[in-house]
Amino acid sequence: MVDEKKLQDKARETLSRDDVRRLIGWKRSTYGYEAAPAVLTDASEADQLIFDPTCVQNPASFISLEEKKPVPRGQEPDTRKIAVMVKGCDSRAIVQQLVEKAYNRDDVVVLGIPCIGVIDRRKAEKLFGETGKQVKAKVDKEKVAVDIGGDVKTVDRKDILMDKCLRCRYPNPLVSDFLLGDEVEKWADDDFADVDEFEKMTPEEKWKHWDEQLSKCIRCYSCKSVCPMCYCVECVVTQQKPQWTRRSTDISENAAYHLQRAWHLAGRCIECMECQRVCPVDIPIMELNRKMTREVKEMFDYEPGVDAEAEPLLASYNPQDPEDYIM
Amino acid sequence: MVDSLRPKIGVYICHCGINIGSVVDVPAVVEYASKLPGVAVSREYTYMCSDPGQNLVKEDIEKEGLNRVIVASCSPRMHEPTFRKTLKDAGLNPYYLEMANIREQCSWVHEDHAEATEKAKKLVEAAVAKALLLEALEEKEVDVIPSCLVIGAGIAGIQAALDIADAGFKVYVVEKTPSVGGHMAQLDKTFPTLDCSACILTPKMVDVANHPNIELMTYSQLEEISGYVGNFKAKIRKKARYVDFDRCTGCGVCAENCRLAGRIPNEFDELIGNRGAIYLPFPQAVPAKYTIDPERCLQLSKGKCGKEGPACVAACGPGCIDFEQQDEIVEIECGTVIVATGYDVFPMEKKPEYGWAENDNVLTGLEFERLVSASGPTGGKPILGRDKKGEGGYEPKKVAFIHCVGSRDKSVGNEYCSRVCCMYLAKQAHLIRDKLPDAEITVFYMDVRAFGKGFEEFYDRVRREGVRYVRGNPSEIFKKSADPEDHTLIVKVEDTLTGTPLEYESDLVVLGVGLEPRRDIREIIDLFKLSQSTDGFFLEAHPKLRPVDTASDGVFLAGCCQGPKDIPDTVAQAKGAASSALILMAYGKVKVEAQVSVVNPDECRGCGFCVEVCPFTAIELVDENRMGNIVQVAKVNEALCKGCGSCAAACLSGAIQPKSFKDEQILPQIAVLGVKP
Repeated sequence: MVDEKKLQDKARETLSRDDVRRLIGWKRSTYGYEAAPAVLTDASEADQLIFDPTCVQNPASFISLEEKKPVPRGQEPDTRKIAVMVKGCDSRAIVQQLVEKAYNRDDVVVLGIPCIGVIDRRKAEKLFGETGKQVKAKVDKEKVAVDIGGDVKTVDRKDILMDKCLRCRYPNPLVSDFLLGDEVEKWADDDFADVDEFEKMTPEEKWKHWDEQLSKCIRCYSCKSVCPMCYCVECVVTQQKPQWTRRSTDISENAAYHLQRAWHLAGRCIECMECQRVCPVDIPIMELNRKMTREVKEMFDYEPGVDAEAEPLLASYNPQDPEDYIM
Repeated sequence: MVDSLRPKIGVYICHCGINIGSVVDVPAVVEYASKLPGVAVSREYTYMCSDPGQNLVKEDIEKEGLNRVIVASCSPRMHEPTFRKTLKDAGLNPYYLEMANIREQCSWVHEDHAEATEKAKKLVEAAVAKALLLEALEEKEVDVIPSCLVIGAGIAGIQAALDIADAGFKVYVVEKTPSVGGHMAQLDKTFPTLDCSACILTPKMVDVANHPNIELMTYSQLEEISGYVGNFKAKIRKKARYVDFDRCTGCGVCAENCRLAGRIPNEFDELIGNRGAIYLPFPQAVPAKYTIDPERCLQLSKGKCGKEGPACVAACGPGCIDFEQQDEIVEIECGTVIVATGYDVFPMEKKPEYGWAENDNVLTGLEFERLVSASGPTGGKPILGRDKKGEGGYEPKKVAFIHCVGSRDKSVGNEYCSRVCCMYLAKQAHLIRDKLPDAEITVFYMDVRAFGKGFEEFYDRVRREGVRYVRGNPSEIFKKSADPEDHTLIVKVEDTLTGTPLEYESDLVVLGVGLEPRRDIREIIDLFKLSQSTDGFFLEAHPKLRPVDTASDGVFLAGCCQGPKDIPDTVAQAKGAASSALILMAYGKVKVEAQVSVVNPDECRGCGFCVEVCPFTAIELVDENRMGNIVQVAKVNEALCKGCGSCAAACLSGAIQPKSFKDEQILPQIAVLGVKP
């Protein structure tokens, strides 16, 4: 487990650097099962920072989303680095953003955190109900101890951790300048059992499933806002000219939106599950992305967010590429 | 003249004789089109592409003041240039033309006349929807540098270079190996005329080296090429020969004295003959300059050669040998490029059942050429099994030739016919008959394809000379016994005409290996972004009408790099490629594509996907000042862009779009064709 004091010390040191303008990490939220993101600019704020299994959010999303404000005439743009704390899964977002030239490696200071799992809010609420109290948590190889306002409850890991943690293959950050804690051993593998399970459905059942799920969508665009890979200046779904997707929230336009998003993430989704986590109407968005991930892996032997030197999948071509994807 | 706010569209429906008219109810389409928004004129004509057809358009533009024209006829691949010219002649921007393909995409593929007519109406309506949004584009011309780069100096490269040089243009010839000549120089005789290959080739080799307009760079490789049609810049690496090129007289004393003389397999002899570490690949090599093989030379690879130092240095009179020599990079500019990189023969490792690797008397066709060549290791005598000193050996008594090795064979991934094997095996059978009148010669074939001028006659002659043709594709070739003195091979085969399984005994088997794309073809593909056809050879721009052009303007193909062919076909294609390159250079100017991609820098996120997918390296990322912040955005080089649209497909935010095919121009078309809300 990461020593919080060490983490805060390193953050303080990093924020004191002249070439760092801000640091993104996690702080204790006032209530609920998820920690809040913390964006710090001053070393004196560093003692707010924490890391425990409530630190679910992917801070890498913020790097490329930072608004580039107009620079007043005569002034130089602020080109100082952004420091960011990342878990193993979060770090894949940084790798993929580097592949896509969202920024340069020199523009970020990566503080890596070896992680052995984070809490799924929905699972926790099912077990313990919604809470207005502050939550802390600890995890070891078998159990997770959840402290809900002083009331400590212990559960099996598999009952409360995010699904992505249960099949996590990259618990240690794939890119980092400093490692805040000892590397941990990989405990799981990904056999795409969830995709297999989904594919057992008949086309009619799948249609019904998506009809139900996507009809719920209110098009708040939280999923695209939180996604570390969605950082176009203007997303095609909100473009007016030409208008690919109308704004109405009917099944046709909702499906168009979600399918378009899935396609745009093909070979790019690093499976941090942020889209599904933030969905206010509980659409299992990851089911689409997971299917795409498996197709990409099986057909092209490609995994995004692993190698910063890799060519982007959809921008590379090989005459031997399989063509089975043409449906 | 053009009022873009108030489009006046002319719609012209072509009957194409009966091609369209017999299926589509043309008057009904004309009637339908006349009621569409913005349409001022709607007409029909039997052949729109004919002179009167085009005049119809011109007159309407002048009299009616049309500012958009739609021709509903065949594929734009066919007549778009024709009608663009019509518009231009009438003083209208040629890109105000839109074509609706109601032939290939409608009348030719539908049987139900009523439905075909409905579809034609929709296609015309879609064209109208797009025509309202068409933009005027500017056509530009760039100068063509009057020089050509020829890559590869086999017969194709040599012929192309000579033709262009004779026309008075500068040619740079780059050849990878130490000598020009290519595969043709390795051959003994050529079918069906039995000309000595070297005798007809060497004069051309000498011409290439001596021509005042040709700069020949042997033992050199193209490293980098940039630019576009008319304006290429190339970097060529001249590899170090470790021999002073200007002073070497080609006397050969160095090679005689080399400590490794006769101990290194010679690539030119297909490894069945030997050379030294300093060598001339073959006696007639051009240029006649020696080269040191840096990987084998003791001095260069080990830093030490004998006690007294390198013997070649001591032997060389003019003192040409220079172990300190470095590779040299030459930069040139050229307007056109001819790729003539040739082929490799089928690698026998892929067909282990024929026992090529284990048996010295199983030879590929090319190895056999060297065996019977007067300049080959045995001086042209068909002797096998000689010892290291070149003594002993035996003459084969029973010779088997096998057709289609590595060609027409799905199991090794080559479905195509290599086009030369039938005839070269017939020629080789004749050569053996000539040299060994008593030998028993059998050819195992699948089919005999003797399609060229004089081929069938030659095949007939060879059969009359007592060469037996047995129809069957051998399954296996192996040694009869373990006795090292017994050279007998067993060819296991079924005579498919009689259905008899045979075990044919032979003491020399010649494999008619096919032609494959060069193993290093990738290097050229990466340099020029060329495409390959399914057989792996370079893809021409059009299989019938543009057989020497490529999708990259100014880059032409000659010889076997485009597909297997014999020498006359190669020479013909080389002359074709030379003529195509000459057209550009003689005219001196070239039109560049007007329908290029454009970037909206405000929406570009600088991910560079477009840069990666662009087959023409037309896009780069450049710094852009976005309200004081420096960001990277894509920028299109309009001279390089061909408007293929790959970038637009890769772009996630729709920031890059090909002109005339922008999303906002296509979506209204789709809306018309699709279900309306």
